[in-house]
Amino acid sequence: MSTREIFDGRLEAALLLAPTLLVSVVFLYYPTALAFRTSLFDAGFGRAEEFVGLENYLTLLESSAYHRSVAISVLFAALVVVGTITVSLYLTFLIHEVDDGQGWYLISVIWPYALPPAVAALVFLFILHPTLGVLTGPIEAVGFDVDWFNDGPQAFLVVLLVAIWKQIGYNVIFMIAAMKDVPDALTETAELDGVGRLRRLVSVYVPIMTPTLFFLVIINTIYAFFGTFAFVDLLTSGGPANATNVLIFDLYREGFSFFNFGVASTKSVVLFLVVAVLMVIQFRLTEEYSYYGA
Amino acid sequence: MTNAIQYTKRRFEALKGAIAAGDEDEPLAVTGLGEGVGVHLQLWLLVGMVVFPILVAVVVSTKQQGIVTSLPDLIPGTYAVENYREAIVDYGFGRFMWNSLLMSVVVVVGKLVISVLAAMAIVYYRVPYKDLVFLFVLFTLLLPVPVRFIPLFQLINDLGWGNSLLAITVPYLASATTVFILRQHFLSIPNSIVETAKLDGVGPVKFTLQVLIPMSRGVLVGVSIIMFVYAWNQYLWPLVIIDSEANQVAQVGLQLLQGDVQGGQLSWSLVMAGSVLTLLPPLALMVLFREPLLETFAIQQK
Repeated sequence: MSTREIFDGRLEAALLLAPTLLVSVVFLYYPTALAFRTSLFDAGFGRAEEFVGLENYLTLLESSAYHRSVAISVLFAALVVVGTITVSLYLTFLIHEVDDGQGWYLISVIWPYALPPAVAALVFLFILHPTLGVLTGPIEAVGFDVDWFNDGPQAFLVVLLVAIWKQIGYNVIFMIAAMKDVPDALTETAELDGVGRLRRLVSVYVPIMTPTLFFLVIINTIYAFFGTFAFVDLLTSGGPANATNVLIFDLYREGFSFFNFGVASTKSVVLFLVVAVLMVIQFRLTEEYSYYGA
Repeated sequence: MTNAIQYTKRRFEALKGAIAAGDEDEPLAVTGLGEGVGVHLQLWLLVGMVVFPILVAVVVSTKQQGIVTSLPDLIPGTYAVENYREAIVDYGFGRFMWNSLLMSVVVVVGKLVISVLAAMAIVYYRVPYKDLVFLFVLFTLLLPVPVRFIPLFQLINDLGWGNSLLAITVPYLASATTVFILRQHFLSIPNSIVETAKLDGVGPVKFTLQVLIPMSRGVLVGVSIIMFVYAWNQYLWPLVIIDSEANQVAQVGLQLLQGDVQGGQLSWSLVMAGSVLTLLPPLALMVLFREPLLETFAIQQK
């Protein structure tokens, strides 16, 4: 390890690190500190800042609208995680099971990794549009009324579907690598024992893939909380009646529709705590697995 | 740690082989199972569902009106050229695409350069508190744009950068992920090579250009694709900080087009043309460079 350190100019090293550190401090750490500070103030466009202590935090603690947004986000994240992992795992398994055309199948399911969220949202807006959608007719033909511009749970479901669709590619990329890692001997033994396909996936592959699956649970949770703004903004604008008002969209509205920078900063701090908790969990798990992995 | 990386790399190596070989006789799964028509059928169905929305977008972008209310309407039209021309020229999508490209290229090149420098210092220099510095960089993973865009908005405006290329590039330049991936990769370069370079009295510049970069081609391409996709797909930050159409990026440009549809001034076929255009650059890069991309993902997970 130490033999790798072949240069020792301290000034040189400092200069090499300077750009990254400078940008980190000015555009990452400083704004975050600013958010913590502003969360203690009543602040907005065109009015003088006023120190209010923890009042903004108390406001959020007592706000039933904010509680609802938290509940919606948690439910949304849980469903995104479960939906994405289930679909991706099954897809990965099918690809793993075929001998012919594996490369083609793989590329045709991992491409949504590159899919821009705004494009995903607009395409769904079009195909599921309550009056114009291509799929609206067929769906209504079986007796289901497509009305997600007015119906909260339906709107939630549409945003959820888009979110899962977009995230499949990323998940399959990691899962296929982990599934290849399962020793062939295990697969063969399972087959000799007459273990069915699906049982083999659930009882043999999934336990071995646990580290990767945990990693993906965290990544998908972070994605559900932070990477889904474009879907909500373009599909539902948080509606109808706040049914899709997830935390990140709620924060955006607080800042840029209501211009309450004080409360918005408080909401930023809450989101920071969410990322922090998730990252700590991930870090712990990674450490744990690297012990018995290596 | 290094062993784990090597190991994961080998796993991806096998995967790459399968992808590169495409269709042909390079079965990865040594399952011994007859694959059964059922599995292929299910795969076709699921792949169809994953691809269907984009196929609809492509088809609609070739039609005159873009009113497609039933499945039989999904026959490609003959207005492709006109629609794309109209979107690019008349509705400013060319401009949006150019702005996105500029933003993404600046972010990729800037991030790559400063991250290589930082990882170089962290791995190959004997300096005190190195681990602390690395942690300081890694900790920024906790500070994604959504956590700080409100104060960042104020800061950028105070700097007088609002509505400019600087606003949508400079804040993205520091990258914990890129520094992390590069550091892991540098640590996996065999010690003997590094020691030989030292014995030969190679200086840092020569070392970077003649040893480090040639030995890191795959990873450098891989992180570049990850960074490009990330930058190109940014939506929230450009939405709040760019307030003129002339400087807007494609993601938000789509939202502007859609606004015109809701207002009834524009047909859906143009929005779908815009969507297809916005998807193409990241998709093309991903398909073209899928091998180094997968290899780099293998490092990221560790």
